[in-house]
Amino acid sequence: MGESEGESEAPKVKLRPIVRLGMFLISHSHLLSVVCCTAGVLTLLLLPLLAKNTYISENALMPGSANPMLSSQEVSEANGLVKDLTNLDLKPMASGIESQRLIAQYMSNLGAEVSFQKFYPQSNQFHPLHFFSSPDSATIQENISCSSYGLNTVGIIRAPRGDGKEAIVLVTPYNSEKIGLGEALSLGIAYSVFSLLTRVTWLAKDIIWVVADSKYGEYAAVDAWLRDYYIPVFSGLGTQNAEMCHGLEENAITERNMHDGFKRAGTMAAALVIKVADRSEQFEDSLSIYAEASNGQMPNLDLINIVNYLAVHRQGLRIKVEKMWSLLNCKWLMILGEILESLGHLAKSFNPQWKFGIPAADYVEGTATLASSLYYQALGIPTGPHGAFRDYQVDAITLEISSRVSSNNKGRQNDFLLRGGRLIEGVIRSVNNLLEKFHQSFFLYLLTSPSKFLSVGVYMIAFALLVASLPMVAASLYAHANNLDPSFEKNKSNHPASAADELGITLRSWKWLYAAKKVLVVHLWGAGVLLLPYFICQIPNCTSTTSFVVWVLLSIFSLLILFWILGSPFSYVTASQPQQREWALLKSVTISAAFIGLCLMSVINFATAEIGALLMVPMCLMAHPLKLDVKSRKLRNFSRVACNLALGFIGFPPTAFLVFKGVFEGFDGISVGDFWNWLESIWAWSSATYLYMGMIHLPCWILCIHVILHPC
Amino acid sequence: MEAKEQSKKKESWYWNWLIGSVALRVILIYFSNNLNLASRPEISTPLTSLRRLAEGYWLKQSSMSPYAGSMYHGSPLLLSLLGPLTAKRIEGQPDHILCSLVFVIADVASAMFIRVTGQNLQIAYSQSLKFLDLVKLSEKSDILPSGDTAALVYLWNPFTIVACVGLSTSPVENLAIILSLYGACRRIAPLAAFGWVMATHLSLYPVILIIPMILLLGYGPDTPPRKLFLQRKYVEVGDTPSNDRCQQEEAVNQPELPYVFSWRPVIHFLFWTSLWLVYVLVLCGVSVKQYGGLWELFKRTYGFMLTVQDLSPNMGVLWYFFAEVFDFFRNFFLIVFHGNILFMILPLAIRLKHRPFFLAFVYIVISSMLKSYPSVGDSALYLGLLGLFVNELADMKFSFFLFCGYIGVSLLSPVMHNLWIWRGTGNANFYFATAMAYACLQIILVVESVSAMLNHDRKLRKLSATKVLDGKS
Repeated sequence: MGESEGESEAPKVKLRPIVRLGMFLISHSHLLSVVCCTAGVLTLLLLPLLAKNTYISENALMPGSANPMLSSQEVSEANGLVKDLTNLDLKPMASGIESQRLIAQYMSNLGAEVSFQKFYPQSNQFHPLHFFSSPDSATIQENISCSSYGLNTVGIIRAPRGDGKEAIVLVTPYNSEKIGLGEALSLGIAYSVFSLLTRVTWLAKDIIWVVADSKYGEYAAVDAWLRDYYIPVFSGLGTQNAEMCHGLEENAITERNMHDGFKRAGTMAAALVIKVADRSEQFEDSLSIYAEASNGQMPNLDLINIVNYLAVHRQGLRIKVEKMWSLLNCKWLMILGEILESLGHLAKSFNPQWKFGIPAADYVEGTATLASSLYYQALGIPTGPHGAFRDYQVDAITLEISSRVSSNNKGRQNDFLLRGGRLIEGVIRSVNNLLEKFHQSFFLYLLTSPSKFLSVGVYMIAFALLVASLPMVAASLYAHANNLDPSFEKNKSNHPASAADELGITLRSWKWLYAAKKVLVVHLWGAGVLLLPYFICQIPNCTSTTSFVVWVLLSIFSLLILFWILGSPFSYVTASQPQQREWALLKSVTISAAFIGLCLMSVINFATAEIGALLMVPMCLMAHPLKLDVKSRKLRNFSRVACNLALGFIGFPPTAFLVFKGVFEGFDGISVGDFWNWLESIWAWSSATYLYMGMIHLPCWILCIHVILHPC
Repeated sequence: MEAKEQSKKKESWYWNWLIGSVALRVILIYFSNNLNLASRPEISTPLTSLRRLAEGYWLKQSSMSPYAGSMYHGSPLLLSLLGPLTAKRIEGQPDHILCSLVFVIADVASAMFIRVTGQNLQIAYSQSLKFLDLVKLSEKSDILPSGDTAALVYLWNPFTIVACVGLSTSPVENLAIILSLYGACRRIAPLAAFGWVMATHLSLYPVILIIPMILLLGYGPDTPPRKLFLQRKYVEVGDTPSNDRCQQEEAVNQPELPYVFSWRPVIHFLFWTSLWLVYVLVLCGVSVKQYGGLWELFKRTYGFMLTVQDLSPNMGVLWYFFAEVFDFFRNFFLIVFHGNILFMILPLAIRLKHRPFFLAFVYIVISSMLKSYPSVGDSALYLGLLGLFVNELADMKFSFFLFCGYIGVSLLSPVMHNLWIWRGTGNANFYFATAMAYACLQIILVVESVSAMLNHDRKLRKLSATKVLDGKS
């Protein structure tokens, strides 16, 4: 027996450093959590400083190594197309199917395989269970009317050196009912590149040009085409519906190279969506890049790098990425930037090797870009039709070229087409060189400018510092709550004979189960609240404000019912054990749940987790029963009460949304209906942010409020 | 009277929760097409996937070997039991609804067996407490009904529910294991032998359970260490005023009876085991006679398990390792990894021989951690059995940490899989990281539960020692 005891004692001795470290962390958790939180926020503010310059990491891409081959001949052909399209638009009758036929005619004249793809607009439906499943074909099509359908025109060039296993996709969305000049120009650019590519010898990947009919939205058209491309429907509803509405343009397909069936060309290496903006107030030609796909997914950084490199160094275009404009005029940000700049100078004077300072203006601009990058990723809504490709693991970006072209200036238009076309040609040539799919560079990054990025390893530090305090505080609360049991301590010290009691205190280490039950119930309630809008939407003639009010009332009602039903076991529990332990355990379990939720969310969509952590971590850490604070009547306690109330106010999702909206866009004209509209949009795009809000943020907020109002 | 009413109340409470769990399963089965659980690697492994079983059945129907094409690797008996059910479709109902109902029944049956086993263990526990004169203790503290707790933990464990709804055959395998343990606990040798043979036949790893089962049959259910009883006995003998020899012998013989190793049930068990073994082998031989015989069967089932041929990701740690290892080291590491389980058998058996049921639990955790194709169904089994020791493990450390860890890992694992397979932004390391975290959690669970159990024994010894001292003074 002595031996066995010695054996079991031995590992304890070995464990001691770890245990001691744990004890140290637990005993200093207050200080450490404050330090961690401030460090997290500071790191977030320092992120623009830490951004690295982008570089092309896939050697095979070799952007700009070949001279552009696009000449004025192709441009003049493209000009013909643009003119035809704009003329078509002037005629009132013939639009609609006419324009598609015209484009198809042009394509087939080049020797491409042309096919049409018919699709029906689908209302965005909420599938709560489809967040983590693969994209599937089992989307139910309802209420398809034959009169309303879109028609995509698809042209495919077969590569002379390829084996038909890979393809590059060009997408030009345009509204078939009303073709603007910008849309016509984007078609012109794509056409010029397309006509060049029919003749070149270096092509190793097939080229697919999708002229997407954006009558029902650009995304819907591209998404419909992709769904048909990747998930063919062999039987059932899809074909039946297609047959029902057949016979509309059967007669049109008589020309050479036109095919009735759906044409395919291997897996897609990359996709480029080309748009032209009609902004005549621009002083120089510029190029905007949109990259965010659903749930904050980004295309491979190399794709952005090639475009950036070719546009800046070859075509002389100015690159822009989305910015949060309201941050540019922010006073405190400017001051912070100047402080950082002077700090950088100071560090340089000590050691010329240290280069971390950037000019204040750059800092402000980087912060604005970073903020918008975070915001659009957090929203989880794709910023353009390129988002549809990411669902099929295809890297895609939208290039929006804006210029000062007006329809009467022939020379400028030619020049514009030439530059745009050469840019696209260069990108395609680079992608054409690829041997594998994009994998070298980053998928998880944030942009601070078109040529600067933050990789996952850097921005995770800010998040990790912010979140690290949660498990620490949870552990310390848990340990305290378990040690606070006075009867047990006394028994142990006084007389070992009454160790019968020691055994009698069963489940001492399982006391947290009651708190866990409560937390679980509240989280389940959160899931229920998420599903309520699905039913509220069914109510006809509802303004956004009333729906929001109905939603809030229903949620509160269900919460009250839950507390009423499950109230009895809770009260029994609270009666049987000291109150003080109860709230501490509850807070500890809440914090653990928040920690798990935030970590999970940071993997799904980092930006949401970061913004959520900024709101939630201080709230969770500060939560303390008001009654205890008010009782003790000290300044420290009152300040804590004030903090608690403020954080509780800002932590509630609707108020947080409205406050931020007010700060950035001004407080006039704000109503609670805005929140409903915003929520509806992220709900319709089945963004994970919606799930986060209902299943993690809202329950944690409720539990924190519960802790604050705890009767002890 | 009051106590009776209370127990009746508890009884009805138990049944309500049982019916609730069945209802939840049925509801989830109805939505199983939406949930798409059957395709998750955590739930259906190459061994337990019902889709593969249906494929094997189809092959067999078209008079080919069910093992052709490396799709099916399960037992031929399961094939002929569940196969016809997979082929039957009911209009308007989800696919495989009959099989799902079979799994629900298997789950409920397992829960019932766990409950009866728990009651048995509890009786043994309070008896031994009574013998050690710690009766006051057992009356004073409210000893939880471990059987009910364990059965409900098993039924309401999300892992169990997911394994049941996700069309994997692990509920049936779990039932076989629980059946054998139940038989051993009640000393019903034929049942125990049947359960053990079936469990071994279905998933091979329960073969190591033969040691705790023999101990269970020989010594009876879990008791505090035997030394305690001896100590007690000597004290009693010393206390008896008369030095008459007969009396002493009586005192020695009477209470000792249940605590000696009795060979009779063990011999019975071994006899029945060989009988069932022959029976199962004959049945298997008949069903695979025209497809290469028993040898082919062993190669395709047990060989497949032991040589880790399928390297598709699962929640274990072996797939990653054997995807990386060089081919010429493969055999060596196969031996090392499987030896890992075997190395731990003997030391644990020596240390925990007075608690054979707990020993079986520890074996199950270890084998489900180190087996080649683990699934959540295996975890469901040992988490359910953990509930049986709710009184002994009351002071287990890190319970909250383990709870959070299990929740975190089981949520993170599908997300990482999605990141790797569907989004393409992650890679295999992401998913394997969760698998490693999961293995670590299981290790902590084993270590903590064993140390809590030993602490419990120590506490009992201290208590009885103080009792003895009190009695003497």
